[in-house]
Amino acid sequence: MNFKLVFRLAGRVLLVEAAAMLLPLAVTLLYRENPLPFLIPIPILLAVGLALSALKGKDSFFPREGFFAVGLIWLLIGFFGALPFFCWSRLNPGSGLFPHFIDCFFESVSGFTTTGSSILTAVEPLPKGILFWRSFTHWLGGMGVLVLALALLPSMGSRSLNLMKAESPGPVVSKLVPKTSQSSKILYGIYCVLTGAQVIALRLAGMPWYDSVVHAFATAGTGGFSTRNLSVAAYQSPAVEIIITVFMLLFSINFALFFLVLCGKVKQALQSDELRFFLLVVAASTLLIAFNIAGYYPEGGALRHAAFQVATIISTTGFASADFNLWPEFSRCLLVILMFIGACAGSTGGGLKCSRVLLILRCIKREIRRVIHPRSVNVVKLDGRVVEEDVLCSVLIFFAAYLFIILGASLLVALDNFTFGTTFTAVVACISNIGPGLEMVGPMGNFSAFSGLSKLILSLCMIVGRLEVLPILVLLSGTAWKRS
Amino acid sequence: MDIVIAGDGKVGFTLAEHLSQEDHNVTIIDTNDEALKRASDMLDVMCVKGNGATLSALQEAGAGKADVVIAATSMDEVNMICCLAAKRLGAKYAIARVRNVEYAKELSQLKKDLDIDLIINPENATAVEIARLLRFPTAANIDTFCRGRVELVGLRLQEGDFLCGQPLAGLDHRVRALPMLFCAAERGESAIIPNGAFVPQPGDKLYLIGQPFGINQFFKLLGRYTPKIKDVFIVGGGRIAHYLTAALEHLGMHVKLVERSMERCRQLSDMLPHTLVICGDGTDQELLESENVGACDAFIALTDRDEDNLIISLYALQQKIAKVIAKSNRQNYAGIARSVGLDSVISPKLITASQILQVVRGMQNSKGSVMNALYKIAGGQAEAMEFVVSEKTRGLGVPLKDLKLKKGILLAVIIHQNQVVIPEGSSVIRAGDTVIIVSRDKVILDVNDIYEDRPADAVEGAE
Repeated sequence: MNFKLVFRLAGRVLLVEAAAMLLPLAVTLLYRENPLPFLIPIPILLAVGLALSALKGKDSFFPREGFFAVGLIWLLIGFFGALPFFCWSRLNPGSGLFPHFIDCFFESVSGFTTTGSSILTAVEPLPKGILFWRSFTHWLGGMGVLVLALALLPSMGSRSLNLMKAESPGPVVSKLVPKTSQSSKILYGIYCVLTGAQVIALRLAGMPWYDSVVHAFATAGTGGFSTRNLSVAAYQSPAVEIIITVFMLLFSINFALFFLVLCGKVKQALQSDELRFFLLVVAASTLLIAFNIAGYYPEGGALRHAAFQVATIISTTGFASADFNLWPEFSRCLLVILMFIGACAGSTGGGLKCSRVLLILRCIKREIRRVIHPRSVNVVKLDGRVVEEDVLCSVLIFFAAYLFIILGASLLVALDNFTFGTTFTAVVACISNIGPGLEMVGPMGNFSAFSGLSKLILSLCMIVGRLEVLPILVLLSGTAWKRS
Repeated sequence: MDIVIAGDGKVGFTLAEHLSQEDHNVTIIDTNDEALKRASDMLDVMCVKGNGATLSALQEAGAGKADVVIAATSMDEVNMICCLAAKRLGAKYAIARVRNVEYAKELSQLKKDLDIDLIINPENATAVEIARLLRFPTAANIDTFCRGRVELVGLRLQEGDFLCGQPLAGLDHRVRALPMLFCAAERGESAIIPNGAFVPQPGDKLYLIGQPFGINQFFKLLGRYTPKIKDVFIVGGGRIAHYLTAALEHLGMHVKLVERSMERCRQLSDMLPHTLVICGDGTDQELLESENVGACDAFIALTDRDEDNLIISLYALQQKIAKVIAKSNRQNYAGIARSVGLDSVISPKLITASQILQVVRGMQNSKGSVMNALYKIAGGQAEAMEFVVSEKTRGLGVPLKDLKLKKGILLAVIIHQNQVVIPEGSSVIRAGDTVIIVSRDKVILDVNDIYEDRPADAVEGAE
């Protein structure tokens, strides 16, 4: 392991994070709030970032450095991103929010991993600057902090794809254009334009500017932090709910498809197997749930609420326009299944990813065929292309690892002695980067009652889910720590 | 520039490596997943799986908008169709690798009919390179600039050479008066751009640049002048051997060619009537001895196995043959070979790649100063380049001693109105001159790239 290179890279990303804190700092100044929660962490980040990025060493860069660096960097940005919360809570000891540093860490990791789970019992007492930072971490983490660093910082050389690979969701990572740095610029370009469009749409629907920006950031990253205790339900506005539903779905589509549309290849984009599967799942579950909950909403709106909840869960955002915890068991169960499926690969959403689910289903189908015709040779295809056997294998392994991690984490969280529904859905909601689960951690609940250990486990689950398991496992493997 | 490379083999990979490092947008097409995976892991390029000759693969790779399409798959026909299709899609420049000897004779017609802008024949290029080495046997390698008016020669220093052990600045006037310059040195694995304080040591490889006359004189002073080569012994009867033998026959040399396959021997003896073709195993010492290898002036190992070539070359070196050349496509073997005294190791892959690179860089530079030639020296760690100075070049008319060049860059030769000048502190560059620049591990695409970026006032002063 080339530690100097990894730390230099980490230093650069911390500098980017320091720069990102300037935006909430500006917000605190704009609303005449106390800027100290940001004025304290920024110099710390600058000092650590500059010290680390000044390290000199060989530039030899291999996949293992890529995975290792990504895992480590996400832990670091989660840690440093918690500092504003920590500073604020120490400046306002009477608030009772953020009682321990682990709560700040949980909130920050939940932000960067676009989970949106919160340990806050109430968000409305928080100043605008802090709430802005909370949602802005969603926006930064959605597309990937390293991808941003790749777009902004001078080229890391020809091996930088290793970083993008480790950070981007999905079974296969392909570039849009030959240069990695240009690819990341295009991705961020699409991301910014869509976010801007949503801010304007929300403003037109009657939301104040500040709320529009914060909700747009939270939607873009498919995070789910809101400025209200009741989340989106607080606005009581069907227009806002519909806009957010549409944008949640847009942000959970593979960004490469937007690039295809931009290049005028609309037909090719619409033929994507993953997109079709995703839309099919969304449409089917919306209809089923709407039918199931029709009795709860005699005055109408069942379809709208069903669509919003399906979108918020499958896109792994985690807003709420209704308390689905109170819905009938069939709907609740369906939503938990959607938690596993998650968004499309190459989007900002989490979960297993539609393309993986699709590949797993096709593998199963192939296996059945093999049993019936033992000598038959079958290939699995996606978008008309043959999927390599090692990709299939990695998808299946990913699925298995994901399940094992969920089981293991649930066991540890169960030490807190909450119900099975709470424990299990809390872990699933964290590892799939959704936010709310069922029962105690339902859309109107929060994670504050968990113990420190559970909060740490759940924070790690969020990073494991966001980075798709491997980078964190690499970080935990002893051989990766050997010097090179 | 947008560059599409069809074929991710040895040449395709090397090209992609260099071109992507020079900030071009490179897309590779290949049918082999493993090769593509390797390229996408190691290089900043995009990979497209498919047959490079199909329209769909070319379209997916964006060949229609590409500035250059390079077809370097293993099959000539695929390469030609690839270029044809890419040109039809709208590619601006198409380069095909065509190696079949039969096509080689019809190249000009093919180029016209298929609308291919450049055809590269690696075997022929390698043969030309070897033939040039044989014409000037003292040097380990030789490159020419400005239509042969300037030569760049590499030479391995031996124990007892008068150069060793004293700084270059302390050489006597007989050497310093010669129209030549020490422009690079290779010591171990690293390349050095020498200055006056550089002390050559035995085992270093020195690169001299200058007029052929000056370099010949220098070799005479060094006592290393080898008489002309008359008898050449070639092992391996592939395409390179065929092209080379034809060229050497033309130069009036006698060639003995050893080839293993009887059928190929018959073909060769049909095509090369003046050559003695021997059917046998060229790696067999007994055969070599019975054919009296020791008596020939040059020994060239061209079998298709790098390892065999290196081993029999070492044997030839032992037989005190004046000039031994081995073909090796693997760069790391070349390093090992150099350490045991085998200096002339030729890599067809590198020769092809540097030929294509030269073309691509030349196209890119059509805005600024034009690059005429590029050679990789010192094991690929340094480059020597020939540029034509344009009006836009900075620092015109300023004495060199007042110009601040980047580290590791040497302005080696200025050709002013057909006069070869070895620059001194008082020399100046003028528009229309040709300059030869030697650079260590920096990419120079324009003469302006050699200057240290300076404040604007200094630049204004220069103009």
